[in-house]
Amino acid sequence: MNRNRFKIVFVVFFAGVITLAGCSGDGSKKKSGDIEIPDEIFGDDKPLMISQEAMGDIIDNISSPVEMAALLKSTGVPFSQKLLASTDRLDDLNTNFKQALNLGVYGCDLGYLNMYEKTGSVINNMTAIKSLANELRIGQFFDFNTIKRLATNNENLDSLMYISVSSFNNMDEYLRQSNRSNISSLIVTGMWIEGMYLATQVVKEAPKKDVVERIADQKLVLNDLILILKNYKADNNFNELVKDVESIKKEYEGVKITYEMGEPEAKEVDGMLIIVQNDKQHIDVSDETLARIIEAIGTVRNKIINL
Amino acid sequence: MKKILTILLTLLIALQFNNALAQSDELVNVCALGIGNATYLKDYKVKLSASSVSPPSAKFNVILNKGTMYKITVCNAEGYAGEAVVQLMENASILGTNIKTDGSFVTAIGFQCQKTGMYSINVFFKDGKEGAAVAILSYINM
Repeated sequence: MNRNRFKIVFVVFFAGVITLAGCSGDGSKKKSGDIEIPDEIFGDDKPLMISQEAMGDIIDNISSPVEMAALLKSTGVPFSQKLLASTDRLDDLNTNFKQALNLGVYGCDLGYLNMYEKTGSVINNMTAIKSLANELRIGQFFDFNTIKRLATNNENLDSLMYISVSSFNNMDEYLRQSNRSNISSLIVTGMWIEGMYLATQVVKEAPKKDVVERIADQKLVLNDLILILKNYKADNNFNELVKDVESIKKEYEGVKITYEMGEPEAKEVDGMLIIVQNDKQHIDVSDETLARIIEAIGTVRNKIINL
Repeated sequence: MKKILTILLTLLIALQFNNALAQSDELVNVCALGIGNATYLKDYKVKLSASSVSPPSAKFNVILNKGTMYKITVCNAEGYAGEAVVQLMENASILGTNIKTDGSFVTAIGFQCQKTGMYSINVFFKDGKEGAAVAILSYINM
């Protein structure tokens, strides 16, 4: 009897050691010292119209806001602090719905700040991100200290961008794996709306052709965005958000996109195969349609940051 | 005793899984350092078992934007025989791949995108060998 009890105690002890060793092996990702509550408790409680896998696929498709920020910078348009969302209203963001949407907004702003190397202004933004991520119990994926060190010391911008973007990618991956794609879809929506807001405000001041075209061709993304949000429209907040995004989609009806097909060419340069696509995309958007899109995006974005 | 062994086995498998995750994150970090004059966007982790009949593959959809030069960098994990073959596809057409006609590999694929739309990145291992790899999608700073 005593030998059996010893065996059980040994196994429990051994199991504990293995579990702890396993946790430390992944320490780079999970740094929170908080007590962890199983995510299933807070998971999606409504049946999905589309599978989690399909949801993940759609969310993955939506372009990174970093690309939009890079495009804005490449056009030579100067940085504008006044375009960024204020971080003074954190206390008012008291539901997961508001927190997730605004986490996306601040995440996009972080990309914009980093892209323009405004690393001195980044601390408020990062503090807001960390706070909201903690509220949503995904703060362990946002490496605040490393990003802060890289930002404040003006260290390698590529590393700063990599850690910032991969932090959001890891949050997203974790949310989807733990059955919380509803939160993931809100973060992605917040990011997309804010990216579009930055682009449309830039275009208002300086109508750069590349930026106008990027705004117009996001027509392709809108259907995906509405599809993932509609999955949760049983929730009133989601239902309202679907209506808001649909109001943007309505203004896109005037955007016409046509294609001219061509054969791709390939060449090898310094060990890299370069593929040049010879298809052509023509985008037709009138000034009136663009003005209405700018207005619609601005309305929805301002609603989100004032929730 | 059977129960004890089952518990131990389960815990060991969990530990291995956890280590595998940590290793794949490490591979992403190493691979991301080698993307050169490009900015990281996304990473795709792939681990596939061996198959001589129809090699398994992993497919990732992504929207790429007109006017951007993208780069896909591939890094194979150590300890596996498989070398990752990456194909950039649009619908069913292969736009480019990292394997040359002589069977050797290029270090990365660059893609000058002229049409915003849905593309896919397809990954499998040469000769159906078991392998683990990471593909990093980045854009080249022009």
